[in-house]
This record gives sequence, C-alpha cells and structure tokens, in this order.
Amino acid sequence: MRWLALIWKSLLRSRRRTLLIVGSLVLSVFTVAVLQSLLTTLDSITNNPNSGSRLAVRHKSGITQMLPRSYETFLRQQPEVETVCSLQWFGGYYQDPRNFFANFASDETTIFQTFREEFGLANITEAQVKEYLRDGAGCIVGESLALKNGWKVGDVVPLTGTIFPINPRLTIRLIFKSSRPSDENVLHFHYKVLEEGVPRMKGLTGAFWVRVHRPEDIPRLIERVDRHFANSAYETLTETESAFNLAFVKMLGNISAIIQGITIAVVLAILIVTANTMGTAIRERGAEIAVFRAMGFSASRVLSLLLAEGVLLVGLGAALGLLLAQAAAGGVRSAMGAVMPFFADFEIASATALLCLAGALAVGLLSTFIPAYAATRRPITEGLRSVG
Amino acid sequence: MNANRFDLGGGEPIITLRGIAKSYWREALEIPVLQGIDLEIPVGSFVALMGPSGSGKTTLLNLVAGIDRPTGGTLEVCGHELNDLDDDELAAWRNTHVGFIFQNYNLVPVLTAFENVELPLLLTSLGRRARRERVAEVLALVNLTDKQWNYPRQLSGGQEQRVAIARAIVTDPDILVADEPTGALDAKNAEEVLGLMGRLNADMGKTIVMVTHDPKAAHHARHQIHLEKGVLDRAVEVNR
Ligand SMILES: Nc1ncnc2c1ncn2[C@@H]1O[C@H](COP(=O)(O)OP(=O)(O)O)[C@@H](O)[C@H]1O
Ligand SMILES: [Mg+2]
Repeated sequence: MRWLALIWKSLLRSRRRTLLIVGSLVLSVFTVAVLQSLLTTLDSITNNPNSGSRLAVRHKSGITQMLPRSYETFLRQQPEVETVCSLQWFGGYYQDPRNFFANFASDETTIFQTFREEFGLANITEAQVKEYLRDGAGCIVGESLALKNGWKVGDVVPLTGTIFPINPRLTIRLIFKSSRPSDENVLHFHYKVLEEGVPRMKGLTGAFWVRVHRPEDIPRLIERVDRHFANSAYETLTETESAFNLAFVKMLGNISAIIQGITIAVVLAILIVTANTMGTAIRERGAEIAVFRAMGFSASRVLSLLLAEGVLLVGLGAALGLLLAQAAAGGVRSAMGAVMPFFADFEIASATALLCLAGALAVGLLSTFIPAYAATRRPITEGLRSVG
Repeated sequence: MNANRFDLGGGEPIITLRGIAKSYWREALEIPVLQGIDLEIPVGSFVALMGPSGSGKTTLLNLVAGIDRPTGGTLEVCGHELNDLDDDELAAWRNTHVGFIFQNYNLVPVLTAFENVELPLLLTSLGRRARRERVAEVLALVNLTDKQWNYPRQLSGGQEQRVAIARAIVTDPDILVADEPTGALDAKNAEEVLGLMGRLNADMGKTIVMVTHDPKAAHHARHQIHLEKGVLDRAVEVNR
C-alpha cells in the first residue's frame, strides 16, 4: 500500500457522499467554465483590434437599401482614407440551405487591403492574389470552411442564391488562414458576378467598408461623409466597426454582470456543500483519526492526508467538469459556429480551465482544512473515547 | 520504601512513574483523577491494571502510552522522559515504542486486514517489499494469513482483534498497551486473544500493560495492580 492508495481508499469510504461531491463539482465547474468561456468569446468580438481603423458606410434607411457605387470616388478622395471596398451580403448556400456560412460579393481589388488582418495577408503570396483577380468566376474561402466542406483550391463551388436570383459557380482560387476561426467561416467572390448577374444591382452596393490611415481621423471623416451625402437621393449612415460593437458592449456589460453573479453564486453554493460534507465526513472519523495519531501519525501528517483527500476529491470533480465543458464547447462550435460566426471561436480557453481548476482546489482546501485542522487539534484520548 | 512503590519482581524498569497526577477541569472545578502515582514496571512484565469503573485505569494507561499528558509528576518510558518530548516527537516515539490494542479493535474499515497491519509501517523507513514481508510475518504469528485480504466487516470479532494485535506489534514495539482488549469478545475468543498476548509476553518479551475489570482476563497477566479512586491500592502476583 502506498500513501496514494491510502488516500484513495479513504476517499471511497462513503461512495454516496463521494459521488455527491464529485457530481456537484462536475456540474458547477461545467457551468462556470462554459459561462466564463462565453464571456471570453463575446469579449473577443468587441475587442477585435482590427476594427478600430475601419468604418462602414451604409444607406441611412437601413441595410436593405443600396448606395451607388459611384460614391466610392468621393470616399477615395478623402485624405484620411487608405482604401474603400464595396461589400454585399449574398446570402447563398452550398448544397443545403441549412449549410449556412457568410458569403459576400466584394470588390476583389481592395478586399485584401481592407481586411488584411482577417485574411492573414502576410501569408498570402502576390501570385495567389493574382490568381483570384485573373478569374472573374473565382472565389476565396477561409480554411475552416474549406476543411468542413472538403474543398481545395481549384474546386468549383456552386452557390444557390436566396436574396438574389442567381446561382454562381465559383472556382476556389485561394484558401486563407486567419488567426480566429470565426474569420475563416466566409467566402468572397468578385463583385462583378453580382452586378452582371443581377441587373437591379448594377452600380449599387449594400455598403462600403473604408479603411483609414489613422483611427483618430475617424470622427472627422464620418461627419464629413454623412454631411456630403445629406439631402441626396441616397443619404448615408457612417459608423465605425467599434461604434457598432459599442452597442454590443453595452449589452455585454449586463451579460457580464449576470455571468459573474452566477459564477459567484455557484462557487459559494459548492463551497457550502463541500464544506458541510467534508465537515461531517471528518467528524465521523474522530475515532479513526485518534487511532492514526496513537499509532504515531503526527497531527500535521494526518492533516496532510485529509487535505490530500479533499484536494483529490475536488480535483476529480473539476477535471470531469472541464472535460464535459470541453466536449460541450466542441458541440457549440459545430452547431452554432455556422449560424453565428463568433461561436466558431467558442472554446474553453486554458486560462479559464486553469482558473476553474484553481478555484475548485481552493474550495477543496478551504472546505477540508477547517474541519481537518479542528480534528487534528482534538486530544487523542477524546477521539478514542468517541468510539463509545 | 515508599508505600506506593509496588514490587513487580526484579529487572530494569521500562516504565517509571513518579508522582503522576492527572486532573480534569470543569470550569473552575478541579476533578482529580490520578493522584501521586509512583510505579515501576520492569521490562518483560505483563501487568493487569484493575479497578472499578471510573477509577482512572484508562487515564493511567493513556499517560503511559504517551497519548495524554499528566498534570503533575514525571514519567520515563523506554528510556525517554515523556514530558521532554513535543507532540511530534511523542508521535514518533509512540510509533517505535508502543503498540495499541483497543476494546473495539479500531481497524480502518476501508482497508484490508493486510493494509491495516501495514499502516504503522508507512511511517518507518522500510521499503515496500520489506513492509510486505514484515506484515506477512506478523499475520502468520496471529494465525490470520488466510484472511489477510478480508476487510474488517468480513472478520469475526476475535479475528478483528487478532488483526489489531498484529498491527500493534508490526513495528516491533517494546510495550503493548491494551484497554479492555477482551471487553467485546465472547469467552472463547477472549481466551484466544489473551493466550496470544501471553505468548507475545513470554516468547517475544513484550512488556504488556492491560486494563481490565475481568478477573479471568487479569489472570493471564503475571501481576495485577489495583487502582482505587486515583491511587494505587495494591499489587498482586498471579499464581499459576
Ligand atoms: N476528558 C475528560 N474530562 C473530564 N473528565 C474525564 C475525562 N476523561 C476521564 N474523565 C473522568 O476521569 C475518571 C477516570 O476515567 P477513566 O480513566 O476512563 O476510568 P476507567 O478507565 O478506570 O473507567 C472518570 O470519572 C471520568 O469521568
Ligand atoms: Mg476505561
């Protein structure tokens, strides 16, 4: 018998109690891990570091209204502007309507420049870009999307339009890698395909995405653009990606408070349950602890053994809870990732997992230490007497 | 000669009590349990500590075994002045020098007989193999080799007490202390346990101090000491 065997066997003394603690820990760690990860995931959308230097120009009356592409000329003339890209949500699907992913008709000449971080432009060669520009029926797709559908460069992807009455057949010319999986769940094709296939879209776009040289120029630019097009047939609404996200952040503030509140409640509840259970378990072993000490186990040795039991018990529950959360995260990614792109980033970050583990261990130590310490301070003779 | 010195035959004393007193306090009220006990127990004795219930037998035994501390007097056991040892030193001292046998066996229910016996050896420097050999040896001595993988609940009371005895002697201590070791056993099992203790004393030279109020059990000892209201009353040599 080794020490660990002794600890393990003591742990299984009352199977029902052990199961109760492990079970409640699995549930709480699972809940906390998933909620905290949700928070991290939501946070990461609003904290997209690339969004600070971009703004979106749309029709004032809503996103279904179009703007003339000729506006681009004015936008380009502004000294703050680095590049402008027309972007139209196409809303097509591949094979199955449920097989959803983001797909856009976009200005192939500026798309890479405008979203260079999202496309991982640093890893794309000029030859690859030329390949895409050369083929008017070409498209570019993110790696995770390609992987999911088993696509490779050169494959033809027939898209079925839902908003627009065309079904373009697109040849993959480039598969790009992004730092975030959510940015890879997307397909872009030449704007001309939309303009030439759908007569009513000729010369029109849903939005311009404008990249500026310096983020601090943005407020001035927004004001100038919207003033310039005021009282025209197509009035504009210009806002930053961050501004758009700001509305999100406001809502996130509440979600965050709720999630933190739930986390605290769960931690307190599990602390009470664990402390109560460990307390009873240790008090019931008063005689046994006295016998151990009579045999020569020092008080600190007994204390360590009891703490090890508590930590092992709680660690076991936490590990199982995290495994469960990890499995659930995989489920969320594949089930929701396609519908809400940011869920493609959903994961139990190792920092979150570590935090959960550390929290659980703290709960284990805290809930065991108090009754265990009291038990080892108790006179041996008193413990022996409690045998009855 | 001091009136409280009891002649338990010759031999070097392994236990020496001088003016041992023990009181409990209930609020400000002092409840004296032992008062001025002087006693020398020679190496190799088998002493039965007798007396009416509440006379302080268990209290005295616990002091000798180093799991309790006196409120007055000094005691030297196995060459150590126990008052000079701190709690951790005392624990280590018990592990080497004292084996405990309890009325209700006090085996760990989640450990097998073998593991229960091995328990005190975890504190020694013995390796796994040496521990196993030693445990097998003492289990053979108490005649329980065939039950070594049983859990306490799968053993009879007599068998449990024999496992407890094996556990008490596994570290090869000098002294065995037993508090009513046959109190929970029927006559036949009691005889068997007492016979075993007699052999440990006679063949292995263990000094045994056994608390009992059963004259039949006390008869197995070589000396009987009577405790009356916290003072030693008389010592009797057992004639066999
Ligand atoms: N922890 C304690 N607090 C108060 N009184 C105690 C305590 N332990 C023992 N006593 C008292 O000391 C006396 C002797 O007890 P004990 O040594 O157990 O007697 P015995 O073993 O001879 O029956 C009893 O009156 C008992 O009530
Ligand atoms: Mg007693």
